[in-house]
Amino acid sequence: MTSALRCLGSASAFWFVLPCLLVLAFTSVYPVGFGLAVSFTNWNWGNQFEFVGWANYANLLADAEFWSVMRNTVVFAASATAIEIALGFYLAVQVDRLAIRTDLIRAVIMLPLMVSGIVVALMSKVMFDPFLGIINHLIGVFGLGPSAFYGAAETAMASIVAVDVWWQTAFVFIIMLAGLRSLPAEPVEAARVEGASEFTIFWFIKLPMLRSLLITVVIIRAIDTLKVFDIVFGTTGGGPALATEVVQTFVYRTAYSYQQIGKAMATMILFSLLILVISLALQALQRRGEDAA
Amino acid sequence: MTARTALQFHDGRGQGLSRAWAYAFTGAMILFSLFPVYWVLTVSLKSRRDGLASPPLWIFDPTTANYLKLWSHETFKYTFLNSVIITAIGVALSLAIAIPTAYAIVRMKIRGRNLVGVWLILAYMLPEFLFVIPMFSLYQWTGLYDTHVGLALMYQVHVLPLSIWLLSSFFREINPAIDEAARIEGASNWQILTRIYVPCTLPGMAATAVLNAIWIWNELAIALGLTFSRAETVTLGITSFRGYAALDWGAMTAASIIAIVPMLLFAVAAQKHIVKGLSLGAVKG
Repeated sequence: MTSALRCLGSASAFWFVLPCLLVLAFTSVYPVGFGLAVSFTNWNWGNQFEFVGWANYANLLADAEFWSVMRNTVVFAASATAIEIALGFYLAVQVDRLAIRTDLIRAVIMLPLMVSGIVVALMSKVMFDPFLGIINHLIGVFGLGPSAFYGAAETAMASIVAVDVWWQTAFVFIIMLAGLRSLPAEPVEAARVEGASEFTIFWFIKLPMLRSLLITVVIIRAIDTLKVFDIVFGTTGGGPALATEVVQTFVYRTAYSYQQIGKAMATMILFSLLILVISLALQALQRRGEDAA
Repeated sequence: MTARTALQFHDGRGQGLSRAWAYAFTGAMILFSLFPVYWVLTVSLKSRRDGLASPPLWIFDPTTANYLKLWSHETFKYTFLNSVIITAIGVALSLAIAIPTAYAIVRMKIRGRNLVGVWLILAYMLPEFLFVIPMFSLYQWTGLYDTHVGLALMYQVHVLPLSIWLLSSFFREINPAIDEAARIEGASNWQILTRIYVPCTLPGMAATAVLNAIWIWNELAIALGLTFSRAETVTLGITSFRGYAALDWGAMTAASIIAIVPMLLFAVAAQKHIVKGLSLGAVKG
């Protein structure tokens, strides 16, 4: 006990962080440790609990379904992140140029962010309904559609990406607007006096100063979209066929419908490694930019 | 400032056009953000026959029938109440734990501080089912399964890292010379924290509490894995309308609107706090 105290610093500091350490140990160290162990077994929630070595991992890597689920997840995350970043950042640049108070505008645009994923999913089911939905009616006015949206393999993934864009673009917008507002005024004013165009000012002065923040937002959106669950679970449930099955819905099904806990945990471990690698790569990109600057 | 006035004086036609575009684009995005909520609200106020009309009706005779039906829907009322309780416990727990931790990280000497930081980031970014599936059996064994406290406790895996990040950035803004002065007067760390740091950062505390509350209220995956009936949250209550979505839009949309309302009130009341919390989270994260 005393050595533990010394290791943590002063005794009083130990008591300050103890509750946090206990809760983190219980809610994350234990499940990750136990989950890692389970990934090497054939556990079925019940009595079947045998060590199977790397079998779960080997089976997964040889399983076409696993790879198609991985591909769906990455396709979803990459498209949703790219569109949200582009749209949210562009909107922030436009709002930043408005000559009026923008508090109310920001509050209204933030609204989707307050809505829970499952509610967003159900709202979209009402709007995307192939027969009675308002969206098919609206695009019909422009001579488009009708589309089956969630009902067809070709359009289901694009529909879910659209829903995530509606839901989360405001996050990018809020952060980037705060970033734009915090930029120093002098370089921009100086460039304006020199006669630089708005585009030149944005591209050569503002963007380099916002680069690090932008990559942080990309990292947050990338992690968040890779972990997507609610809006898939609430709309297509992974279908039609496997067209929109993503890692977390796949794991939920594997664990709770098929009782293959070993396989589910092996999937989670591989997927967590993927998330780690992607965030580390993006962070390396961020750091390289800072060194160069 | 003078440079800007001079420029505005020379504002050419190109400038005016691009400013007009900025207003138009912002307007379009406001419409994009609001329309789905407006539309779902109208569907929730439609009678069963109007709701299923084709083409969809823009003008109709509004009715509160769907909301009244929902009010008599015992399960939904129960899940709403559960969410209120779980959110309250979860937020209280996260602040109670994060406040001393953030203080210790910012102002006290702790070895292995970086290790704690790394673990917090990991816990924040790893997928929910990595934690939920292994907890399922432990929760059943310990009796935490399907309880309010059990769920609120598990939510700490996400809200605790976020709270510690936010609170430590608020604490860092306080001048450490104040602690020194208080310490010379004989104040303990605990007194410095509760008498100086907490009162000085109340807006920051509010921002953290609001963000945690929104996250907990809206969470689905962890609730799905660790509750069954007694502690079912409102997000699960809404999920139960998913099955017969095509038949009963009225109940489903009314339930959605009711689940949105508390978050909407939060958003209006605490917009500045939310923006501050989100921005700080991104900058520190």
